[in-house]
Amino acid sequence: FSKRGFIVRSFGTGTHVKLPGPAPDKPNVYDFKTTYDQMYNDLLRKDKELYTQNGILHMLDRNKRIKPRPERFQNCKDVFDLILTCEERVYDQVVEDLNSREQETCQPVHVINVDIQDNHEEATLGAFLICELCQCIQHTEDMENEIDELLQEFEEKSGRTFLHTVCFY
Amino acid sequence: MASGTGDGGNARLSIASQFFTQEEGSGTDSMTTSERVVDLLNQAALISNDSKITILKKVQELIINKDPTLLDNFLDEIIAFQADKSIEVRKFVIGFIEEACKRDIELLLKLIANLNMLLKDENVNVVKKAILAMTQLYKVALQWMVKSRVINDLQESCWEMVSAMASDIILLLDSDNDGIRTHAIKFVEGLIITLSPRMPDSDVPKHHKNDISLERIPKDHPYIKHDALWEEGKGALEQLLKFMVHPAISSINLTAALGSLASIARQRPMFMAEVIQAYETLHANLPPTLAKSQVSSVRKNLKLHLLSVLKHPSSFEFQAQITTLLVDLGTQQAEIARSMPNLKEARKRPRDDTDPSLKKMKIEPSLGEDDEDKDLEQTAVPPPKPSVQTSPLSDTDITAEFLQPLLTPDNVANLVLISMVYLPDTMPASFQATYTPVESAGTEAQIKHLSRLMATQMTAAGLGPGVEHIKVLKEEPKEEKLAKPESVLIKRRLSALSQGQAISVVGAQGCISLLEEEAPQAKRRPEPIIPAPQPRLAGAGGRKKVFRLSDVIKPLTEQQVDKLKLAAVKRILCSERAVACSGAAQARVKILASLVTQFGVPLKSEVMAFILDDVRNRLDLAFAWLFHEYNAYLSKYPSGSLERYDECLLGLLSGLQEKPDQKDGIFTKLVLEAPLITESALEVIRKYCEDESRTALGMSTLQDLIFKRPSRQFQDLHVLLDLSSHEKDKVRQQAIFFIKHMYEKEHLREYVEKFALNYLQLLVHPNPPSVLFGADKDTEVAAPWTEETIKQCLYLYLALLPQNHKLIHELASVYTEAIADIKRTVLRVIEQPIRGMGMNSPELLLLVENCPKGAETLVTRCLHSLTDKVPPSPELVKRVRDLYHKRLPDVRFLIPVLNGLEKKEVIQALPKLIKLNPIVVKEVFNRLLGTQHGEGNSAVSPLNPGELLIALHNIDSTKCDMKSIIKATNLCFAERNVYTSEVLAVVMQQLMEQSPLPMLLMRTVIQSLTMYPRLGGFVMNVLSRLIMKQVWKYPKVWEGFIKCCQRTKPQSFQVILQLPPQQLSAVFEKCPELREPLLAHVRSFTPHQQAHVPNSTMAILEASSKQEMELKDPQPLMEQELEPAPLLPRMSQDMIALRLAQEKALKRQLEEEQKLKQPASQPRPAHVLAPLPAEEPMDFREEGPEVETPTIFISVQEEEEGSGGDGSLLDSSAEGPPPAKEPKSKEAGAGSAADEEAESKPENLPPAEPAPSSTQPSGPQPASQPEEQPEAGAGQEQKQKAES
Repeated sequence: FSKRGFIVRSFGTGTHVKLPGPAPDKPNVYDFKTTYDQMYNDLLRKDKELYTQNGILHMLDRNKRIKPRPERFQNCKDVFDLILTCEERVYDQVVEDLNSREQETCQPVHVINVDIQDNHEEATLGAFLICELCQCIQHTEDMENEIDELLQEFEEKSGRTFLHTVCFY
Repeated sequence: MASGTGDGGNARLSIASQFFTQEEGSGTDSMTTSERVVDLLNQAALISNDSKITILKKVQELIINKDPTLLDNFLDEIIAFQADKSIEVRKFVIGFIEEACKRDIELLLKLIANLNMLLKDENVNVVKKAILAMTQLYKVALQWMVKSRVINDLQESCWEMVSAMASDIILLLDSDNDGIRTHAIKFVEGLIITLSPRMPDSDVPKHHKNDISLERIPKDHPYIKHDALWEEGKGALEQLLKFMVHPAISSINLTAALGSLASIARQRPMFMAEVIQAYETLHANLPPTLAKSQVSSVRKNLKLHLLSVLKHPSSFEFQAQITTLLVDLGTQQAEIARSMPNLKEARKRPRDDTDPSLKKMKIEPSLGEDDEDKDLEQTAVPPPKPSVQTSPLSDTDITAEFLQPLLTPDNVANLVLISMVYLPDTMPASFQATYTPVESAGTEAQIKHLSRLMATQMTAAGLGPGVEHIKVLKEEPKEEKLAKPESVLIKRRLSALSQGQAISVVGAQGCISLLEEEAPQAKRRPEPIIPAPQPRLAGAGGRKKVFRLSDVIKPLTEQQVDKLKLAAVKRILCSERAVACSGAAQARVKILASLVTQFGVPLKSEVMAFILDDVRNRLDLAFAWLFHEYNAYLSKYPSGSLERYDECLLGLLSGLQEKPDQKDGIFTKLVLEAPLITESALEVIRKYCEDESRTALGMSTLQDLIFKRPSRQFQDLHVLLDLSSHEKDKVRQQAIFFIKHMYEKEHLREYVEKFALNYLQLLVHPNPPSVLFGADKDTEVAAPWTEETIKQCLYLYLALLPQNHKLIHELASVYTEAIADIKRTVLRVIEQPIRGMGMNSPELLLLVENCPKGAETLVTRCLHSLTDKVPPSPELVKRVRDLYHKRLPDVRFLIPVLNGLEKKEVIQALPKLIKLNPIVVKEVFNRLLGTQHGEGNSAVSPLNPGELLIALHNIDSTKCDMKSIIKATNLCFAERNVYTSEVLAVVMQQLMEQSPLPMLLMRTVIQSLTMYPRLGGFVMNVLSRLIMKQVWKYPKVWEGFIKCCQRTKPQSFQVILQLPPQQLSAVFEKCPELREPLLAHVRSFTPHQQAHVPNSTMAILEASSKQEMELKDPQPLMEQELEPAPLLPRMSQDMIALRLAQEKALKRQLEEEQKLKQPASQPRPAHVLAPLPAEEPMDFREEGPEVETPTIFISVQEEEEGSGGDGSLLDSSAEGPPPAKEPKSKEAGAGSAADEEAESKPENLPPAEPAPSSTQPSGPQPASQPEEQPEAGAGQEQKQKAES
């Protein structure tokens, strides 16, 4: 996204940062204070082979070059134009959080959910879809007026359904 | 995982403030804040990119937060940016206004008008920002009004404006723009909360703790009317609710409205009932326009907000409804339970309401509401069953109560059967998304729920007993209030009401049928259902007396109608500015357009004049009208006439055409955007193109038409093509320019080409056809071709020629048939295009090769044009040579390619060439000598100048008369720059070595000597060599020899003395005057020298008396001829020494000259010129007898002077400037051309000759004609023998 000229930040919404572990029921859990660097070193120590193979180390390495540690959305008070989520559960959390905040400026923020299953292939497809969506939104003259139609178009094109709402800061 | 694009504004703000603090830190202490602000503002005014915002933010930081005292000073400067063309800057100004007013509300007095302007900005993002600002400022402004006990006029009008803006924003709920509506919803939310009292159970956001709300407004405020505001607040809520039931509401607006309602319900629990009911209505009536995914988004949202409302203690009374809704939305019971407030706590609260310890002011408003509730309960016809609810009964409640007992299994079954008919073919997305299986069918709770659902529907449709009751209830107070002065508020409410009704009816079709079905059961209470709307309408209109329109009006006369119509339209026209301000400009244009389309001529001309008065700004009106007319035409298609449309378009176009200097392309825009270009419109465009000042614009418009309207492109193209033969130069050139461009397009090519060729074909007619004169002038009869008409036929063709060389053949065939005048013109204009084609063009070569009969002159002309500036290509030479040898042996064909021919060919052609017209001969020589156009280097002649002169001498006199040859040599000598003394020396040397001697040898020697006196020594050498070659055997040469001796005395004495006695005496016979000086010369010798003079010679010298005797007895003389033989070697030794010395001297002189070219050129004429004038006349006179008559020379000169150097083959076309060149150069050339000579000499020597025969690098070639000389010489000898 940054490469394509968007000003973008990524967040987690859960209470902890969870990374895949040696088995599905044994994830690596960190809190949001842990830096990517620490996670990286921790996993490196635990099982270098496994985490290199499943790409987690690569991902952490990339992440730590972007920012020091993961951020939790609920703790971020910055104002955004558009929030994209990739899972309905996360969408709900985001919308709930935004609605529970006290409204001050009434500045609107659009929240869009695009369901993407958590595997590499879907993630790549989804990334391109979202990127295209963002570019289209960027190119609209009047985003708020056209976003509805745009999303309809995208739904038709991609065969997915999006959740979309507006919240206010 | 969640990600978002960061908000630009905020990011920038933080960057800006960072930057600001950094700068502060780095120390700009020397500057005061004020100075810094000035500096920054100046910067901001100058730059136009994004950093402008950064700078302005800095200013804002400085004057609002750092030093607010400055705020007032710089207010105007900042506000000035509100007219900035950048949207971001304008948004900044709004943000600034907001911040500034929050800091010092007094500023609102100044700024509110600006904010109002920005609220009406053309950009939606600016409007949105303004709405946001208003959301904040409304509260602040109200607080300020409330606080100030004394209100001045300014403040009053300021508040009026704020109120007006608030109403405006409420109206924006109907905006076309989704985003603006969303913002308007948020504004309305804020407005409702501000204009309603805060209650003890209100949720109060921490941030808004100190915000004003209704309960803080004292009832006795002098200006702000507490009650009016409360009404306004309720009205706003009503607006919002009406907005929500709009059937075509967008999902985002709906989402926003849901959120707003939730927050209203939590902050102002007194509205809880309305909110819950709105939720219910929505749930049952999801807008049909929503897509499936939007439905799920909205439902998700609804669920979220219901849960949040459920958490609020005041929702306790509605728990049942909320829970049902939540279950329908698929919420888990556990989740619902989690959101339930503690029951005890909730129960306590309502009781707290009545706690007397609360402030009185807070209770009063709620009491006011209670009053209404009481009214409702009292007047309700069926006293509702006592229920748990203590809240006011809404219309839905009443209807639901009414329906519930009616829902017996039979009735329901009937309803289902009937409604089956109305089911759509496919399941609507909203239904699919919301359908949940009915779990508890038939239970009391379910029936109750169903009745509620139906009641909601009916209420939305404005039907049912509940609605009627509420209406009746509401009307009463309204009517009372109508009489009150501040009725403004109410009116708005009324209009909103009727609006809302109109909307909800749309979705009510099914309900009406339901109701009709219910009618039998509902008989018990039919009255309130049907009659209710009437009284309401009557109430709204006025309740005093029945008013019938027909009683008071009479029909107007026709005239009056027209007058009124015209006046009305005029008013609409004049209202331009006012309407534009109010944002209804579009509507005005539409109205005008459809009016004009329907009405007659006077109106049309009125509107036309109005449009043309300021076309630029009224273009939209023009287009709207035009399209209306076109639409009118289409609607009657195919029987409709285009006449009115045509009239309109024509009026606009001609109007534009008459306007002076409009350069902004409105004409173009109109033409390109008009739905149809009619014939007459095309005619106007044509006229536009013919206007020289607009040609380019007109034609580019035409071009666009051609490219963009393929259906009529050939008509359009035809106009453009017609213009290509226009009489005005500029028009024509433009047209041709554009056509050339079009000619490159494949699909237009053929048409263009055909047109051009058609015009070209006209030239075969004996008289110009009438097409050329335009339709109006019918002058076909006997009008001869003029140059103008001829050219008209040619322009386009000639322009296309360089792009399509094949066309040249067409010209050739036309040319052969055309009359002489046309031929002449063609030849004149063809030069440029032919040059454009270039000599490598295969088509051109083909033309040369085929050269149709009758087109020879054309071909020659082409050849000349091609080779004028550049040497001919081998390919071209080959074609011409073939043509010449095989088909048309006209030597004139060869001239253009002379320089491409081989040496041998040129020499062969020479006799024929020099017999041609003198002008042509001159051109031939120019080409051969490379003196053409002064750029000798470009063409490399196959013959160098020396060779040429020699070739001339060797021309067989049977092939060519001597006169022509002499003329030709004269032309050579005229080129003093080319024929330098060195060249001439070489020529003489070679000629002399030939045997027999060429007839013109001595003439050339004398001529050379005359031109270059310093050749004297060399000439002596030549003479003595000639003696050895027995020069006296060639009568003509001998004659010349004597003449030469005579002219070169006393230098020639030495030579004469070498003659055998017989010849010596022959010399004296011819020139007796030579004898005495020669004798004196001999006598001046030393005795030793004298001894070398043979006696016989001496005898002839001395014996003047013996002359006769010697003549009578030539025999001894002949014998004596042998006597000096032994002397010869010695003599020749002397001669060689002499010659060497002379040559050395000559060389030295030349070198000096070359070194000192410039300075030398000045003194030279002095000593060169001096002898010339004296000798020149002699030259002619004396040469006379030798070569026929001197008149030859004179006549040649005359011809050269009088005729052009144009070089054209055509006698008649000699129009070039007279040559003014070297013809007289024997006298003048030496002097005036001296400078030139000095400069051009090195250039004129060809640097390297490609001919294989010559390997020498330059000029003089002592012995380079090995084969030809003998032959030519032999021929000459024969001829001389024949002569003698």
